[in-house]
Amino acid sequence: MPKTLFDKIWDSHVIVEQKNGPTLLYVDRHLVHEVTSPQAFDGLRINKRKVRRPDLTFATMDHNVPTSDRSLPIIDQISARQIQVLEKNCKDFDIQLFDINSPNQGIVHVIGPELGITLPGTTIVCGDSHTSTHGAFGALAFGIGTSDVEHVLATQCIWMEKLKTFEIKIEGKRKNKHAVTAKDIILSIIRHIGTAGGAGTVIEYSGETISDLTMEQRMTICNMSIEGGARAGLIAPDEKTFEYLKGRKYTPKNYDDLVDYWSENLKSDPGAHFDKIFTLHVDTISPQVSWGTNPAMTTDVTGIVPFPEEYAKGNLDEEKSAIKALQYMDLKPGTPITDISIDRVFIGSCTNSRLEDLIEVSKVVKRKKVSPKVRAMIVPGSQLVKKQAEELGLDKIFKEANFEWRESGCSMCLGMNPDILAAGERCASTSNRNFEGRQGAGGRTHLVSPVMAAAAALAGHFVDVRELDLN
Amino acid sequence: MKGNVIKYQRDNIDTDVIIPGPYLKIHDYHELAKHAMEGLDKDFHSKVKEGDFIVAGRNFGCGSSREHAPIALAYSGIKAVLAVSFARIFYRNAVDGAFLLPIEIDDSTYNNISDKDSLEINTEKNEIKNLTKNQTYKMKPFSELIGKIIAAGGLFNYKP
Repeated sequence: MPKTLFDKIWDSHVIVEQKNGPTLLYVDRHLVHEVTSPQAFDGLRINKRKVRRPDLTFATMDHNVPTSDRSLPIIDQISARQIQVLEKNCKDFDIQLFDINSPNQGIVHVIGPELGITLPGTTIVCGDSHTSTHGAFGALAFGIGTSDVEHVLATQCIWMEKLKTFEIKIEGKRKNKHAVTAKDIILSIIRHIGTAGGAGTVIEYSGETISDLTMEQRMTICNMSIEGGARAGLIAPDEKTFEYLKGRKYTPKNYDDLVDYWSENLKSDPGAHFDKIFTLHVDTISPQVSWGTNPAMTTDVTGIVPFPEEYAKGNLDEEKSAIKALQYMDLKPGTPITDISIDRVFIGSCTNSRLEDLIEVSKVVKRKKVSPKVRAMIVPGSQLVKKQAEELGLDKIFKEANFEWRESGCSMCLGMNPDILAAGERCASTSNRNFEGRQGAGGRTHLVSPVMAAAAALAGHFVDVRELDLN
Repeated sequence: MKGNVIKYQRDNIDTDVIIPGPYLKIHDYHELAKHAMEGLDKDFHSKVKEGDFIVAGRNFGCGSSREHAPIALAYSGIKAVLAVSFARIFYRNAVDGAFLLPIEIDDSTYNNISDKDSLEINTEKNEIKNLTKNQTYKMKPFSELIGKIIAAGGLFNYKP
């Protein structure tokens, strides 16, 4: 029987399978950060357990590290404590930690791939929902909670019910690849399937457009699978994947043999059954801007803030949600998206903080200035991204344009560190969630691509980035 | 299991409103509970009582994998969340640590239950009795894995 890529990775990791029951799956890589791990390590200590495979476990600190000068002490004592606890846990349990001073520190989903920890055909878990990012490499990667983190630390296995499969075909050619980005593609998908459209599934993205995307762009797509309700996103590995991982810090020595195996095996068979299918044609899609309080509440930059009744198409609950969202966002139906003024810009997060994102931003802002009424910050995804960007001189371009150029971390994506919005502030953000209060209590988030965020920083409002010269 | 309802007529109640990001640094669960639902309902902490149930719409718990979300609710006294559907990570987290029961209900049950109604939940019969309105509803039975983890009292006690 033809199998999907998901079936193949799943089958190759089964330890115990029971009829109609749960499956015990082997975990190849476990990524750990400071926020969802402390209780798990406490649990190990209480039960006198060890970490089963410290060599397959990698830790970093990203969620609440400050993105300001790293030579200064951390002012927030609770954050400082959480960071110290991770240091102690990694020391006690012999786990590789990329700490705040490491040249490899960064957002866990940025450093996994860039260090070659993420590999095709593997299973990867992390106490973070955006673990779906690693699926861009053909890895089955998903977020877990702290109890499962403890279970994986102790056993290197996880109990799972088999997920359903959802094929999303992305077809067609974008007229302007610099203006209509991977972020606009994934926001378009979520807008169509809804925030629970992928619930209980693993999404496999395929089609002409996917082949055309770079690895970093594919990561942006897989990253936001969770925003469509899916546990994981997957893209079959190809030459681009193999080229990206070649020669990285943790890439295995028998790499060429692995590539042979991966190219032969890691793809869905023709005729494989998917439980659900959706096709997006990208030829006509526009740059996207979210207007509401979940990622499906998104529209074209050329559009207007929707009228709740029209948006809901007769669904009363949806209509109520839209009314509440517009109240929270302080937006009036019918307002053109390009008339929405912003106070803040955040370019960063595990969705859009990689080198290519920053290069695209630099094209927009070179020799220009951020609007005087806007405060704009760029937070590279990792120390390595920061270094590479500085080698290209991007930091100078950003600083000359009056962007803050900061240290790596999750930063204003989730407002756990000092980078937060004040109540009522409106932000163009390249992150992944526009939930109420996500970037700071009372803060208003508009999800956009890096190029859109950069253009909005200069203009003080959203603009149709297709009108810019980005080549 | 008997308790009173705190109802949110709302879909997509996300983990950032259940327990906002800044509180994820809090290690003490009782302290964490003081901030449960703060992003959506500032009065939650003052009105919630031990044994209460939350009733909500679709995709409850969407967003982050933070186990702090079911923990904050559980340490506030919430014994079950009844929703039309759940985001999967929240669902799994709720049962893994035996924090609370995630119970799936259909649309008409969701619409029939009102705020402050008194319910009696029987997970063996998959039945919910509304003692205030004298109605009985069906709940969606737990899957085999989830049922076993719940019966065992959490993931670490579960044996296949």
